[in-house]
Amino acid sequence: MLKTLVNALKTGNATTKYPAAPIDLPYGYRGKPEHNEKQCIACGACACACPPNAIQMTADEGAGTVTWNIHYGRCIFCGRCEEVCPFSAIKLGNEFELAVMAATDLDESSTYTLEPCAVCGKLFAPRKQIAYAEELLKNDSGITGEELDTALARLRVCPTCKRTLDAHTAQATSRVEGGR
Amino acid sequence: MHTALEQVPERLQALPTKVELDEKVQKAKGALLNDIKRSVYLYRVDCGGCNACEIEIFATITPVFDAERFGIKNTPSPRHADILVYTGAVTRAMRLPAMRAYEAAPNPKLVVSYGACGCSGGIFHDNYCVWGGTDQILPVDVYIPGCPPSPAQTIYGFAMALGMLGQKLHHKETVEAPGELATLAYADIPYALRTEIEHEARLMSGYLQGRDLADDFLKAISSSQGSVLASVDGLIAGTDDPRRAEVYNDFKELLLGKVIG
Amino acid sequence: MKNKKELRIGETHVEAVRSHFPGSIVDASWQGEEQLCITVKLDMLPDVVEFLYYGRGGWMPVMVGNDERSINGNYALYYVLSMEEEDPCFLTVRVEVPPEPGEYPSVTPRVPAAVWSEREVYDMFGLRAINIIDNRRLVLPDDWPEGLYPLRKDSMDYRHRPKIAADMETYEFLRETGDSETTVIPMGPLHITSDEPGHFRLFVEGETIVDADYRLFYVHRGMEKCAEQRLNYDAVTFFADRICGICGCAHSVAYAESVENAQGIVVPPRAQYIRSIVLEVERLHSHLLNLGLVCHYCGFDTGFNHFFRVREKSMDMAERITGHRKTYGLNLIGGVRRDILKEQAGTLQLVRELRTETQQLVEELLGTPNFDARTKGIGILDPKVARDYSPVGPTVRGSGFARDARYQHAFDGYKSLKDWKPKVQTGCDVQSRTLVRIEEFFDSLDMIEELLTNAPGGPILTEDWTYTPHKFGVAVTEAPRGEDVHWSMVGDNQKCYRWRAKAATYSNWPVLRSMFRGNTVSDAALIVGSIDPCYSCTDRVTVVDVKKQTSKVLTKDELEFYCRNRRRSPLMD
Repeated sequence: MLKTLVNALKTGNATTKYPAAPIDLPYGYRGKPEHNEKQCIACGACACACPPNAIQMTADEGAGTVTWNIHYGRCIFCGRCEEVCPFSAIKLGNEFELAVMAATDLDESSTYTLEPCAVCGKLFAPRKQIAYAEELLKNDSGITGEELDTALARLRVCPTCKRTLDAHTAQATSRVEGGR
Repeated sequence: MHTALEQVPERLQALPTKVELDEKVQKAKGALLNDIKRSVYLYRVDCGGCNACEIEIFATITPVFDAERFGIKNTPSPRHADILVYTGAVTRAMRLPAMRAYEAAPNPKLVVSYGACGCSGGIFHDNYCVWGGTDQILPVDVYIPGCPPSPAQTIYGFAMALGMLGQKLHHKETVEAPGELATLAYADIPYALRTEIEHEARLMSGYLQGRDLADDFLKAISSSQGSVLASVDGLIAGTDDPRRAEVYNDFKELLLGKVIG
Repeated sequence: MKNKKELRIGETHVEAVRSHFPGSIVDASWQGEEQLCITVKLDMLPDVVEFLYYGRGGWMPVMVGNDERSINGNYALYYVLSMEEEDPCFLTVRVEVPPEPGEYPSVTPRVPAAVWSEREVYDMFGLRAINIIDNRRLVLPDDWPEGLYPLRKDSMDYRHRPKIAADMETYEFLRETGDSETTVIPMGPLHITSDEPGHFRLFVEGETIVDADYRLFYVHRGMEKCAEQRLNYDAVTFFADRICGICGCAHSVAYAESVENAQGIVVPPRAQYIRSIVLEVERLHSHLLNLGLVCHYCGFDTGFNHFFRVREKSMDMAERITGHRKTYGLNLIGGVRRDILKEQAGTLQLVRELRTETQQLVEELLGTPNFDARTKGIGILDPKVARDYSPVGPTVRGSGFARDARYQHAFDGYKSLKDWKPKVQTGCDVQSRTLVRIEEFFDSLDMIEELLTNAPGGPILTEDWTYTPHKFGVAVTEAPRGEDVHWSMVGDNQKCYRWRAKAATYSNWPVLRSMFRGNTVSDAALIVGSIDPCYSCTDRVTVVDVKKQTSKVLTKDELEFYCRNRRRSPLMD
């Protein structure tokens, strides 16, 4: 009994000062994911990786857009979105004060334009994603001249049309080579 | 947002009936908050969660976080409760007990959805034995997200519910600006080299520390102004952490391999 | 005849089965160095399992059912046995059950440890175990329709929610109360649940418990089906973290390793050490939690608060290494996601503080007169009952068995530990189990220091493999409550074909009945606390007095109050 009393007196006040004072957070604390919508190219990697499907991508073909959307009520703060994003456009920060009164306050969304295929006109990829690939091809791929032009043209073609184009090219090549 | 339920055909998805509130009760709720601000009786209902939320609530009432400083007291009976705290995604087996607890608590009362599972069903939102978040069966007044919410998040949630602190998180919608582009990082480093270093960094030290270490390394190369290797060696010599030095050396090997090879 | 030296691990068991039951083995294959599977003829199943269990030092963690009709036309049952005496390994006895008539001879009458797994296989697949004795619904709730078996591949989508079949709870409770007449109490509409879901029924004479039964699985969510249809392999590690909020990391590691074992993926050594370190950090917080609760049940609430104060240090440790106090999100298939750099390693020096402070608290606890009086001789787990039901963790170590997955099936960083043995007590009572946990706590602190000092360099993640469909494997970890065993069969579409997660407490519940008998009602809460269940489960307890033929429903708090204060018996009218 005495030991306990002594221990209690020695320990003193162990209570944290929060919320009167900010709380100490360690490096790498997994708080709210912060989406940098300007850096985002709407590739959808985060939506694929998110285990509870808190992040979803919804296309609106009529408006020509795709919307990235997160519901913080479903988020499990695991950091998989941060792990797979090629642009570091989403990172878990230190914000932890997330309680709300209405469920709609837990939603956040960003809308991006989709680009149509140069051949068939169907919407197939976000404009920003294509623009990024274009910049890489121009500045960093090492290819120039006609090869570069062809590559840039191909960039704006959807996968289905690309397959058709490839088939035509193969057919043409084989005719030139004597039908083999 | 909660589109999972809509995807499965109607005939396969039975939905539970949700409790509706009448006007008088709604009005009384508003008055309640004022009256109970400094002396709240809380009753916890576990609807089938994994228990992490329970343990964090335990931690909130113990000495280091001490929710009782604010007059928040855990009560053993729903009949004395002002606030009902629902944790866990509502499982089929727990739907009736959860409803009974709600009915036993006298009106007006507040309902708090605690944790990701309580707010929306969390990672279990569409499993066959789970109805989803608390708001599938009851009207909810406060949502406290987190998986599990830490004691600090819990204290904030209750303080906000009682009007002691303001709400910080709000609905947000943005639209891409015309001509907006994502910026290329380290534009002066060859793309193939940069991605290889980033990939190796992830295998060596994971997504968080690995990215930081890769950034350190890429900055050292990028700003080297002449001797890249000297810059890299300076980085390695400048750290007193043997593990960091090991990882930087690993990147250096990779760099040498690419430059020479 | 093969030279003994050339035999593979586990092969002696295969030879023994062959010589005792000629013609019974249809196939024998190895999934890894220390795991093998023998397929036997259906009618020989109980004989072979009983022989391996009692005759060759086997214990049974779990039995897994699998719908393999699309692979070989039948259902398959995998009786996973942990062989712990000669030639230690994981030996699985597999049988194929034809869809018609969908029955198999039950192993339960011979080996009681199989009872829950067989009841669960009926709930999930509809396969009948002939002669099982206890064939009540185990896992599915009362409002689930008959004839709908969730884990059959063709029965339903993982999101399908059937209409509510019944509005009343219809579970039947077992009791062996001899010749006395008893009254059956239905769980009526006014059954209020306060804590974690779980309902107990105690059958008493006066104050002494004659028998008890309970209803669990209120937390059944349908995870295994979800993993088959929605989640990919990496996402399931996060899912597994949330099977249990207290020992989730052990589940996550066990799942990742079951896939890694099934596919032969070699995890880098540094990742193995990190996994072990984080598992030990988890053990610290869990044992301090249990010690705090033991104080609470003994009426020593000051101790409860002090233990929880000290426990915050272990939560801090976890937050600094993994980013969050709980649900660490540590694993991926092939390794871990976070490294331990100088700052994180520094945090782990908190062990020194933890060691001194806990030593002090433990001294106080053991010195409290209440503690000895309340825990000595209470809740005895007879070693014979333990041998029949295969309980795990401190529950079984308190009864003299040195069973610990870190020792018998050493994995990850534990393989490198020198001079470590599981802690055992022979008292078989609540006090022994608590003492085991105390000793393990200090062991964990030592392990963390040793593993940190010796952690090798190199990567923490590997990507060096491809998936081969339909290969299966088993993995084990030692959670704070005992061994978690995960079994997974990889699919052909980036998702598990079958995943079975067995928690430690699953093996411990069946022995609770025998631990209750002969004790008083006031000790019931303490006994349940001593097996440290994954959730505190006395919500409302119905006490049925066999002789007086009355029954009274107690709330958790009435029971707990009586347990702690030993006065104001709620049974006095």
